[in-house]
Amino acid sequence: MATILIPTPLRQYAGGQSSVDATGSSVSEVLASLTSQHPALKNHLYNDEGRLRSFVNIYVNDEDIRYLDKEKTAVAAADTLSIVPSIAGGAA
Amino acid sequence: MLTEKLQIRYPTGTNVIRIEPHPWDVMLRHALDCYPRECCGIMLGTLQDGDERTVTTAIACRNSYEGDQSDRFELDPKDQLAAQRLAREQKLEVLGFFHSHPDCDSYFSATDLANSWPWYSNVVISIVGGALNRAKAFRANETQTESTEEILTWPQS
Repeated sequence: MATILIPTPLRQYAGGQSSVDATGSSVSEVLASLTSQHPALKNHLYNDEGRLRSFVNIYVNDEDIRYLDKEKTAVAAADTLSIVPSIAGGAA
Repeated sequence: MLTEKLQIRYPTGTNVIRIEPHPWDVMLRHALDCYPRECCGIMLGTLQDGDERTVTTAIACRNSYEGDQSDRFELDPKDQLAAQRLAREQKLEVLGFFHSHPDCDSYFSATDLANSWPWYSNVVISIVGGALNRAKAFRANETQTESTEEILTWPQS
């Protein structure tokens, strides 16, 4: 099973856990396993069209899936997925 | 007793964030070094009594916004990945982020709010004419439609 690291703001939707083990051989399968275990996470990760929200970055180990095969990126049992918030802003 | 630690009690529901001297030095130096561009970085620390936050580590990051950085910033997600890892190793929490407003006051702009995440603290350091003006901290609500100011303390504040 792959391990998904949950950032602090989302832990309240994941039973307070900082990491969750999930099954699947691709990012989409692993995230589906995660949201089936913790349905409250779904709205925070996906938009109404079922696509990953733009301010959510997913890393497999040290690699951003946007530069791999996006949600089809392969995941092995020893892999770690990280959910990384997009943060930006400014005075403008 | 004079040696008794002063215990400040804030009303229930008030968000409090305290920045220790070393991370504050890192944050202020980064804001001054980047002036007149916006700086950005990540704050790690501890949670006490539920949600009283103490920043013990600040990480100065590169502003990755591709454009005029005098009024915009963007954190590189790779820096956040590294910060998350450091927090786990040191048994700390990623408490939030900081950035500067060059020649502007410390406020949480619509751009800040729209590009923030709930729960995190966001420290905004106002640098005017190359010197510290003031700093404030804000937290976005769950829907990022409004923010509330936190009680922020730092050395010499």
